[in-house]
Amino acid sequence: MAESLHALIGKRVLFFGGKGGVGKTTCASAMALAASQAGRRVLLVSTDPAHSTADMFERPIGPEPVALAPNLHGLEIDGAFEARRYVANVKDHIKDLFGAHILKEAHKQIDLAASMPGAEEMALFDRIGGLIRGEDDRFDLVVFDTAPTGHTLRLIRMPELMEAWIRALSRSRRAMLGIEQDDATDPVMLSLGERLEHLKEFRARLLSPRSCAFVLVMVAERLPIEETARAIEQLGEAGVSIGGLVVNRVLPATSPDPFLRARHDQEQVYLDEIERRFAPHLRVRVPQLPSDVHGMATLQRLARLLTTEKALSS
Amino acid sequence: MFPDKKFPPTRSAPRYDRLVSLGKNVRDFLHGAAYGRYERELRRQASELNDLFLLLCYMEIVGLPNPATLYLLDVYPYLLDQFHQWHRRMGMERSPLGSLPCC
Repeated sequence: MAESLHALIGKRVLFFGGKGGVGKTTCASAMALAASQAGRRVLLVSTDPAHSTADMFERPIGPEPVALAPNLHGLEIDGAFEARRYVANVKDHIKDLFGAHILKEAHKQIDLAASMPGAEEMALFDRIGGLIRGEDDRFDLVVFDTAPTGHTLRLIRMPELMEAWIRALSRSRRAMLGIEQDDATDPVMLSLGERLEHLKEFRARLLSPRSCAFVLVMVAERLPIEETARAIEQLGEAGVSIGGLVVNRVLPATSPDPFLRARHDQEQVYLDEIERRFAPHLRVRVPQLPSDVHGMATLQRLARLLTTEKALSS
Repeated sequence: MFPDKKFPPTRSAPRYDRLVSLGKNVRDFLHGAAYGRYERELRRQASELNDLFLLLCYMEIVGLPNPATLYLLDVYPYLLDQFHQWHRRMGMERSPLGSLPCC
């Protein structure tokens, strides 16, 4: 197997997903580092509420992009922060359009709506959508280090759901305007129309194999294999293309230690299964390293393992 | 004796006004005769559609989850007036929803 993730460096959006604990953050960080060193301006985004990117790079990262290395920025998305920012933007947007009385009532409604359950998730979704649409032109490539699979699949289906919803709202509004014979400059219609455009753009970018790919990370064990198979199926249904699979922490083939040999023999069964079941997809093996990965030096090593054409062979 | 004979021009202006208002009345009458029935129906339909739209926007207040809440924040100010009209139309002097104060 002489395969690597090198071809993915040229994309606009990369997702790293998989079961908890298989090394998503490690692989996403290493890939982002490799792309930045290849000359791409990269933003590494963690969407898992339990962020660990900061630990990986051994420096604090917040809800705004922070420089981590030349050409590489990091960002840890925070739902509560995004919701506050969203509400502040809306209030700022409407402040010149209405009189003081209406504004007072409107602010009450806005604060109420923003405190509803789901508002934070929605603000998070909006921010991710903006990043995927390429809102921030300081970056060529956005690498998402995602939360465990289920959460991410829901996120990927969300633009479609939201689009349907906004469409229904527009239809309802249009039917009403048609009867009352208001003109086409209805501000509600215009706002809904703009949302719809953004969602379409978001979805188009997400579903374009040329600009976006999903990398699934796993280890050679029963549960991660099954979860990967499910994720492939569901991503396929959603129409997102699979960029490749990373089989992480593969044990060394020869070891004098009987315990390690026994583990290796069992692992070989799973590795064979992976070869068989995921044959249509690109697969990259990453060996178990002598030390755990954090800090620039080890990330560098992993970045090379992920992206050099002569990856490990079985 | 007949002072109006002395000032004939002063009478022509009110007569013209009367003609105009008569014309307007005739037009309104004909419009009403022709469209009145439909207009009432159309108004009823419009207000029903309006109510549906308001419900879709304010679903969370009546306890239904609304995935688009955040995307509706900037249209809320435009809907305040419609919300007011709705609760008046429903025969409620003040906003029936404590969480959504109106008047």
